[in-house]
Amino acid sequence: MIADGYNLVFRKSNSGSANRISGYKESEMSLEFAYYPGCGAKQVQKEADEAARAVCQELDIGLFDMPNATCCGAVSLRETKPAFSLAVAARILSEAEAQGRDLVTICNTCLQTLSYANYRFKTEPEILEKINKVLSEAGVRPFEATIKVHHLLWVMTDLVDQTMLKSRIKRPLNGLRVAPFYGCHNLRPEHIYDGEAGEKADHLHRLIATLGGDPVSYDGQDKCCGFHVMLSDQEEMKGMVAKNCLSAKNAGAEVMISPCTLCDMAMGAYQGVAEKSVGKFIGLPEMNFAQLLGAAMEIDEKKLGLNRLHISPRPTLSARGVL
Amino acid sequence: MPVKFYTFRIQRNRKSREGRIESRWQEYRVEAEETTTVLTALEEIKGHQDGGLTFRQSCRSAICGSCAMKISGRTRLACKTHIGAVSRDGVVEVAPMANQPILKDLVVDIGPFFKRIRKIKPYLEEGPEANTDVGKSAYDQVNHVTQCIMCGCCYSDCTMSEVSPEFIGPAALAKAFRFVSDPREGQKTARLKDLSENHMMWSCSRCAMCVEMCPKDVAPMEAIVKLRTRGLEKGFKDGPGPKHALAFHEDIKKTGDLNEFTLMVRTIGVIGAMKEMGTMLHFMKKGKVPSPFPHKSGNLDELSKIYDILERDKPDVETKAKEVVPE
Repeated sequence: MIADGYNLVFRKSNSGSANRISGYKESEMSLEFAYYPGCGAKQVQKEADEAARAVCQELDIGLFDMPNATCCGAVSLRETKPAFSLAVAARILSEAEAQGRDLVTICNTCLQTLSYANYRFKTEPEILEKINKVLSEAGVRPFEATIKVHHLLWVMTDLVDQTMLKSRIKRPLNGLRVAPFYGCHNLRPEHIYDGEAGEKADHLHRLIATLGGDPVSYDGQDKCCGFHVMLSDQEEMKGMVAKNCLSAKNAGAEVMISPCTLCDMAMGAYQGVAEKSVGKFIGLPEMNFAQLLGAAMEIDEKKLGLNRLHISPRPTLSARGVL
Repeated sequence: MPVKFYTFRIQRNRKSREGRIESRWQEYRVEAEETTTVLTALEEIKGHQDGGLTFRQSCRSAICGSCAMKISGRTRLACKTHIGAVSRDGVVEVAPMANQPILKDLVVDIGPFFKRIRKIKPYLEEGPEANTDVGKSAYDQVNHVTQCIMCGCCYSDCTMSEVSPEFIGPAALAKAFRFVSDPREGQKTARLKDLSENHMMWSCSRCAMCVEMCPKDVAPMEAIVKLRTRGLEKGFKDGPGPKHALAFHEDIKKTGDLNEFTLMVRTIGVIGAMKEMGTMLHFMKKGKVPSPFPHKSGNLDELSKIYDILERDKPDVETKAKEVVPE
């Protein structure tokens, strides 16, 4: 099913024209987005970006770079300079809008920051007017608030035709028990998002099932990964990582996936640090959702950056015939 | 409205002779409609099936906050929660609030919660910053947070409180903002100084759980963000929290993107960063050390202009209280 009202761009193929949104048939059309990977994916979590691009290329989803886009600033910028934070978000959103495309990201925090700004611009016209006045004065195209902000995960579960997606799964997970780690910033606060959010969101569960895996529900799946207090409250952050990972492990998970580069960093890269902090071995391979999707699509593992993960998922995935 | 049977899986708790809490799960079947409240179901159980079941309740109108409890994994007011909204395959799981000591069954000791509220001095103080000559709009921010009924839902579901017994919690911080933003308050700066200490406003992880679960739409995290802004404006910039936020601001202004290579040193200092060398080496093995030469966004001059204009004009973009419509 396709949600109504998306401001999506479809590339026409040689074989036919596309003028309505009804999912997309692989042979006829493809989705296009202004692509905003976020700072994490440009630096320490490059593998998430590489996997996202590889998967989208395979599915003929167009990801168009945004050369002028800056860091979204997360909540940190909103704390230091609230108006500047909105202007920075408006400038990013305006760049996507100028392309005539909705924006897509692979970072939960970027998703929340840009969705928050977009929501305010759409519901508080006086704020949009104030910010646009500043943008115009600075020579930036004003933002008309006509686009939506997507997570690439929502694209995969709610915009891409699921029959087509299933047909691309060459290496099904064969019942692999996968813990979905949603994190916070693609769920809360529910009202600001253009895609499925809130307490009842189940997009990661659905994706795992589509790949032939067994989604494992557990207590920590929509809690905080601690990334944003990684430096200010280090012990507490490690406690969060350990608690969430152990909760997944105790529920029988063999692998954990997340839709967020920052959650990947916390739950994956920091897992070893958290183990030492709480004095318990966890050893739960954590990967970005696009990496697992790519592996199931038989995309070369080098393209997916599996070698950059804290714990290699290779043995687990090999045991199930995925690699 | 069709009536059907629901299974209520309730955590029963009691103190052993040694003073330890012993927990077990007990199931009850209740005939109810989808719109029946969880509180009505609990009363049915207590009145007709198990008189020993202990829980708090009072107003039945989502205003006293007494019946806050974990319902299907999240903390909610039993009197405001419809069974149909929280049942999963006909099962409703009920447990006491988290992050507080359990007394019996679904009743917790709310003393530690209110101790945190008292810590922020929940009353107006006299002092040099008091202003009594104010218009109606001066209370826009106060009205944002005065809907709080002190039920503790946010504190029970707070992901930082779960791992940090010292953290003051979202309700106390929302209450603190209520006083910091009150034009009549005479000690705004002193309050912000106290709130800048460890385990206070900078320890919120910004997970927005409190925004999602507050039954009165207080949005404590929004209040915390505003508190931090006011703290920085007053010059309370010490500590890793403020330094981290300021680093973001400086980087975006300068290059558009974060300089993650220097972010750690700028947040926790050289000595703090040296303590993290083990972690850094661990990341280096995986090629996870950011470049010292961060990416620069295009058309950066636009950003400088935007920044300068905003520094000159300082438009008010804070969210304002919405008119409260009776439920």
